[in-house]
Amino acid sequence: MIQFFDPRQSGNPHQLLDVEKDYGTPPTCAEDAASTSLVSLTIDGQPVMVPAGTSIMRAAAALDINIPKLCATDSLQAFGSCRICLVEIEGRKGFPASCTALAEEGLVVRTQTEKVARLRRNVMELTISDHPLDCLTCPANGDCELQNAAGEVGLRDVRYGFDGENHLNAKKDCSHAYFTFDPGRCIVCSRCVRACAEVQGTYALTIDGRGFDSRVAAGQDEDFMDSECVACGACVQACPTATLMENSVIDLGLPEHSVLTTCAYCGVGCAFKAELKGDRIVRMVPFKGGQANRGHSCVKGRFAFGYTTHRDRVIRPMIRDTIDEPWRQVSWDEAVSFAASRIRAIQQQYGRESVGGITSSRCTNEETYLVQKLVRAAFGNNNVDTCARVCHSPTGYGLKTTLGESAGTQTFDSVEKADVIMVIGANPTDAHPVFASRLKRRLTQGASLIVADPRRIDLVNSPHVSSDYHLNLLPGTNVALINALSHVIVTEGLEAKEFIASRCEQEAFEHWRSFISKEHNSPDIMAPVTGISAEKIRDAARLFAQAKNGAIYYGLGVTEHSQGSSMVMGIANLAMLTGNIGREGVGVNPLRGQNNVQGSCDMGSFPHELPGYRHVSDESVRGLFEQAWGVKIDHEPGMRIPNMFDAAITGSFKGLYCQGEDIAQSDPNTHHVEEALRSLECLIVQDIFLNETAKYAHVFLPGASFLEKDGTFTNAERRISPVRKIMPPLSGKADWEGTMALSNALGYAMDYSHPAEIMDEIAELTPTFSGVSYQLLQETGSLQWPCNEASPHGTPIMHVDEFVRGKGFFAITEYVATDEKVNKKYPLLLTTGRILSQYNAGTQTRRTENISWHAEDVLEIHPFDAEERGVKDGDRVQVSSRAGATVLRADITDRVQAGVIYTTFHHPETGVNVITTENSDWATNCPEYKVTAVQVSKVTGVSDWQSKRELFSEQQIAFMGTADS
Amino acid sequence: MSSTELEHLIKMINQIADNIAIGESDDVATAKLADHLKRFWARSMKEQIFNYANSDGEKLQPVAKKALTLLQSE
Repeated sequence: MIQFFDPRQSGNPHQLLDVEKDYGTPPTCAEDAASTSLVSLTIDGQPVMVPAGTSIMRAAAALDINIPKLCATDSLQAFGSCRICLVEIEGRKGFPASCTALAEEGLVVRTQTEKVARLRRNVMELTISDHPLDCLTCPANGDCELQNAAGEVGLRDVRYGFDGENHLNAKKDCSHAYFTFDPGRCIVCSRCVRACAEVQGTYALTIDGRGFDSRVAAGQDEDFMDSECVACGACVQACPTATLMENSVIDLGLPEHSVLTTCAYCGVGCAFKAELKGDRIVRMVPFKGGQANRGHSCVKGRFAFGYTTHRDRVIRPMIRDTIDEPWRQVSWDEAVSFAASRIRAIQQQYGRESVGGITSSRCTNEETYLVQKLVRAAFGNNNVDTCARVCHSPTGYGLKTTLGESAGTQTFDSVEKADVIMVIGANPTDAHPVFASRLKRRLTQGASLIVADPRRIDLVNSPHVSSDYHLNLLPGTNVALINALSHVIVTEGLEAKEFIASRCEQEAFEHWRSFISKEHNSPDIMAPVTGISAEKIRDAARLFAQAKNGAIYYGLGVTEHSQGSSMVMGIANLAMLTGNIGREGVGVNPLRGQNNVQGSCDMGSFPHELPGYRHVSDESVRGLFEQAWGVKIDHEPGMRIPNMFDAAITGSFKGLYCQGEDIAQSDPNTHHVEEALRSLECLIVQDIFLNETAKYAHVFLPGASFLEKDGTFTNAERRISPVRKIMPPLSGKADWEGTMALSNALGYAMDYSHPAEIMDEIAELTPTFSGVSYQLLQETGSLQWPCNEASPHGTPIMHVDEFVRGKGFFAITEYVATDEKVNKKYPLLLTTGRILSQYNAGTQTRRTENISWHAEDVLEIHPFDAEERGVKDGDRVQVSSRAGATVLRADITDRVQAGVIYTTFHHPETGVNVITTENSDWATNCPEYKVTAVQVSKVTGVSDWQSKRELFSEQQIAFMGTADS
Repeated sequence: MSSTELEHLIKMINQIADNIAIGESDDVATAKLADHLKRFWARSMKEQIFNYANSDGEKLQPVAKKALTLLQSE
C-alpha cells in the first residue's frame, strides 16, 4: 500500500512531495504532526493511506489519479463550488465533491464512472456556455486549466448555444502595470478571491453580485490599480484561465523553459521559477517548493525584474582621472589595470591602510567572499565593511553577545506555530511582504499580536488582522520599552525559571535581574519616556510572558538607533527570560533588509571578522586563512564605513572599491558622505547602473544582475539558496569575475572557473559552512547554516539544546537617551522607512513599472503638526535638520503620531539622508536613521542641496554619454 | 588631523562608556571599554585617540581615559 506522507506532517523536511504537481487541496494542518492518525481507503481499486483530514482529491492525486478540477488548487482551502471533481463512494448516496469530501477509513472511491463522467460533462458544458471559444488566440492557450479540464471530461458540444445572455464582452481592466483582468474569460471559481484572502491576506477581491451577475471585483468595484490590491500576483497565479494574466505573457506568449533561482530583493529570499523564452524572461513565478516562501511572492520579486534589461544599464567598463571630466569607455583589462595602478600608487604614497572595500549585500555569497578576500589579501588590510553596517550590524553584535551566533534563530515556517507574536520596529507588509502574509495567516488562525512602532503600520489594523497592543512609542525609546517589559515579567514572577536555570549563565542573570528590577526600569517611570501608558506596557508584557510560544520579529526600527545593539540584546534577554528560544514557534527573528545581508555578514565582510564571525585577532583562525590564501593577514580590525568616510575627509583614506552598494544615497548625512567621496583619489564602483555613488567614481566596473550569474544568497533564516545564471552577463563578466580581474591586476592571483569553487573554499575555511556544496544545494533546494558534520542537512532552528555560546548571557541594557533631541529649532522627530513597491535606494525598482505606485517620496505628517504650519495635503514642505534640508510633498495622515514625521528613502531627488545625522549605535556605528530632530516648513521651490544635486547629476550623466568617444 | 574625525572618535568612546559602564565597578567598566576598543577599533583610530588622551584628553570621560591607559599599557 502506498503510504502518503505530507512533509509538514511527517516531520521529515527532506521527504518532499512533487512540488510541480497540484494536489488540489493543501495538506491538513494538524497542530501536532506526531499525533495525526492515518486512514486507509481505496481509490479506483488502489489502496492508499493518508493523514486523517486529507481530501479524497489529494489522496487520489498521491496515487497519480488526477480528478478534474477547476475551483481547487493546493495553495487554497477546498471550496467545492465548480462541481467538476465529483466522485462516487461505495455505499453512499450522491456524488460528493472530492475536494471537500475527506478520506475516511475503509472508503471505496471511484473517480471514473459512467454517471460521474456524464455529470462532469454537464457541469463543463454549463461553464463553457459562458466562455469564449477562442482558445487558439487566447493568451492562456497551452496553460489553461479550463481547457485541460474540458479535454479531460470529453466535452464535445455545448447544447445551450451562445446566443443567450453572457459575459463574453465584459470590459477588460487594463489599468494594472503587470497584469490584465479580462472578466469575459472568468468562470467565477473564486480562486483569485481566495488567493487574495488566504495566501496574501489582503482581501482586496470579492465576488460581487449573485447568481448570473456574480463577478470578480477589486476593492469597491474599482480598477485593480486603484483598489487595495498589492500586486503580489497570487490571484494571477491561482487563476485557472486567462482571466488574470501577466501582461508579459499576453505580449510574448508562453515561456518554453524555466530555471529555478532566488529573488534578489528582500531578506525573505523567495524561490522563483524564472520562466523564459531563450534568455528572455517572460515571467517570474513563485516556486511552490521554495522553503522560505512556500509558493508566494510580492510585487517586487514577482513582477519588478524589468530593471535587469533597462536602458540605463551600463555594460562597458569606464575610467577617468577626475570626477570633473567625461568617462572613457575602455576594455575590462584597461579598466582593472588603471584601477590597480591607482590603488598601488595610493598605498605607496599614503600607506597600506589608505584603501579599503565595501562588499555588497545584494551580490552573492561567493562575490562578497571574494571582495573581502581581495581587501585582506591584495590590499593587505582589514578595511572591509558592508552595507549591513547601516542596517543590521547591531544584530550581529547583540545576538553574538547574548546567544553566541550573529543570526536569527528560526525558519519562516516557525511563525505557523507562534501564539503571541511581537513585531518591533519592522513593517513586514511593506518590507518583507511574503513573510507578512504568512504572519497574517497565523494571526487569522488566532495568534495574538503586539506591535511596537511609532507609526501605525498596516499590521496594527488591516482586514481581518489587528494587533492586540500597538505600543506606539516615541522614536529613540526602544530600550526604555524593552526594559520596562522585562521589568514587569521579572517583578511579577512570570519568567521561565526552569529555562533560565538550565540554559543561562546564572551569575549574569542574577546581575541582570537586580538591574532590571530597579524602579527606574518600571513601566511607571518609563511611561512618560516612551509615551506608552504603564498599564499598556504591563498588559503587553503579561500577554507575551504567558504565551505558549512567543516569537519576536524585528527590523531596522530596532537596529538603526544610538542604542541599536542594546535593543537587540534587550530582545534576546526578553526571549530568554520567557523561555522562547530553541523550538518552533518562538525565537529572535531579525528581518533582514536586503537579499544577502545575512550572507555578506557571514562571509567576513566586517572589518574585525573573518568568514564565520571569527575575530581577526584569533591567531589560529588567521593561520587557516593565511595558509589558504598565501598571505599575512593583519591582526588588527580595519575601519568601518563611517570611519572610512572620516578618514577620507582627513586625508588618510584615499581609495575605495565599492561593489553593488549606493553609499551616496543610502548612508546618513549626505553632505558628509559626498565630501568623503570627493576626497578619494580612486573610487572604484561596480554596479549595474551609474548610481549616485558612481557619479563620484574614477573607475566604473559594470555589474551583473542576479539573472546573469551563478551563486548563492543567504536569507534572514540563514537559508543558503542557489542563484542561477539565466542569461550571459551583459558586460561579459559576472561580478565575481570582475573582482577576480581586479585582484589579478593588483598582483594577487585569483583563479576560479565557477562560483562552486569559491563555495568549496568557503566551506573548507568556515566550520558553519563545512557541509555546504553546490551539489548538496542542488539536491536539497536550500540549506540553513550551520551545515556541517553535526548537522549535515543544515539547522532550521538554532540553540535547541544549548546556546551556541554554551549558556545564554543576559546583557545589561541601560537606557541611555539619544543626543538627538527635539528643541525649539527642530521640534519634530523624523523617522524613515520603506514602502512595498520600492526596494532600498530604489536603484532597481525605480527602473520598473513599480514606479506607478510610488513616483516620489512623500512626508507623512500628523494633522496637528500640519495645521500648526499651515501645511495642506500635497503641499511642498522643506524638512530641515542640523545636517541639511530637502523638499518633498506632504501627506497628512494620523498614521504617524503628533510630533513624529515619516518618509521613505527610495528616490535620490528627495535624498532624505541629507537630513539624517552622523549619530550612530554605540557598539557598531550603525547610523541612527530612525531619529532626527527636524523642522518642517511650507516652501515653493527645492532645497539648495537638491538644486546642486540635480546639476551635478545631469553633468555626470552627460559625462557618461560621451564615454564612447 | 581633522577635528571632525577626532570629534567623532571622542563622541564614540564616550558613548561606548555611557552604555557599558553604568552600574559596573570602575575596574570592570574600564576593562570592558578597553576590550571593546581592542576588538572593534582600527589601528589608526586607536592611535588618534591615544594621541588625544596623552596630549589633552579633556573631553574624555574618566572611564574612557582609564581604558585608554590600560590599553596602552598592554
